[in-house]
Amino acid sequence: MKWQCALLQRWLPEYPDGDLPAFWLRRLKPHVERCPSCRQELAALKEMAQAIRTAPVADPGPEFWSEFSREMHLKLVQAAQEGRMAPARSSWWGRIPYLVGASALAALLLWVAVSHQTSRQAGPAAPQIAQPAQEKGAKEQLAVAPQAPAGEEPNSYLYVSNNHGAGAPPEEDLGDDLDATLSGMTPQQKETFLKRLSQQQKDGSCIKSYSSIFWA
Amino acid sequence: MTDAQLVARAQGGDLQAFEELVMKYQREIYGLACRMVSDPEEAKDLSQQAFMQAFIYIKSFRQDAQFRTWLFRIAINQCYNFLKSRKKFGEPVDCDEVALVAEEDSPEEELVSRDERQRVYAALKKLPPKQQAVLTLKLEQGLSYQEISGVLGGTPGAARVNYCQALKNLKKYLKSEEEDEVAMRASPTVAPRVSRR
Repeated sequence: MKWQCALLQRWLPEYPDGDLPAFWLRRLKPHVERCPSCRQELAALKEMAQAIRTAPVADPGPEFWSEFSREMHLKLVQAAQEGRMAPARSSWWGRIPYLVGASALAALLLWVAVSHQTSRQAGPAAPQIAQPAQEKGAKEQLAVAPQAPAGEEPNSYLYVSNNHGAGAPPEEDLGDDLDATLSGMTPQQKETFLKRLSQQQKDGSCIKSYSSIFWA
Repeated sequence: MTDAQLVARAQGGDLQAFEELVMKYQREIYGLACRMVSDPEEAKDLSQQAFMQAFIYIKSFRQDAQFRTWLFRIAINQCYNFLKSRKKFGEPVDCDEVALVAEEDSPEEELVSRDERQRVYAALKKLPPKQQAVLTLKLEQGLSYQEISGVLGGTPGAARVNYCQALKNLKKYLKSEEEDEVAMRASPTVAPRVSRR
């Protein structure tokens, strides 16, 4: 099928006397006259439409309709008596109280959510900083809390240099994994590590910005 | 009295006005339902349900649309729901029932034309519900594509394409039935030859 046929055949059901725009009528008429496949298609469509028109659903007769009306009447009366008719759809003016209430509720929820979020951000991080440092032993204090200067940000990490000289790997960020690092060590390794850490803290290669580190 | 006046009265609770509307459109709604479900008894129930729905929601009907197309939409939705449930539960329905009603009403029809009509009914039944609805609304109820799109949703252009496709499908189904019939007629002549051998 040519592209032109495909395009024009979409309008064929309306040709020649249907609801066809003049633009398409001007194009369809010469095309149908010279294109046998479109003529054939047109004839087939007309035949089908005619087949449906000539085979209507037969009227079931007056008895059927009188029974139909009687049944409908009974059903309608019953529905009216039971008050099953739905109320009229309210206009915009009638919906205004609901809209105002809904927006007020939304504003309230938003305010609760924002205030809850703010209180969470402002709160409990600071008191936890000093607590483990005061309770733990000296070695742990070295690792945990070399008294961060006032005003230093609490939520920061512990940076420990593991290198002992030139050619050593770059600085390692132990961060929150210090617990995990220590727990995987034997007591001897742990002691060595903490000694090294204290040494580094003394000579300044251990950057003492941290928040809270917990271990047993 | 016009539809708008009857609807306004029915919206005010006038039962008689609504019954006038029922009388006015019952044949069209029943015919549409018959076409879509191919079962006169079900079509009667569905058209009554459609009128009941219209009655219940008449107050929410706004006069910016035609009452007739609104009613068609309700009826088609009822038919869709019925067809969906029939598909789900697999209720068998005899497709010849509509044709039998027609036969009762016109006994003088010739056998050939009866067969032809039955073939058309059977082919129509194979169409998807939306295409059945488009054909009925266009050819039997005489709705424009604009009105059909108002009933079925979509655009007038889509309704036209749907209509064209429905006619093509109908032709295809009728042709395949013809071929089946030819094969059925041919088989008895083939069978004796085989048995003689």
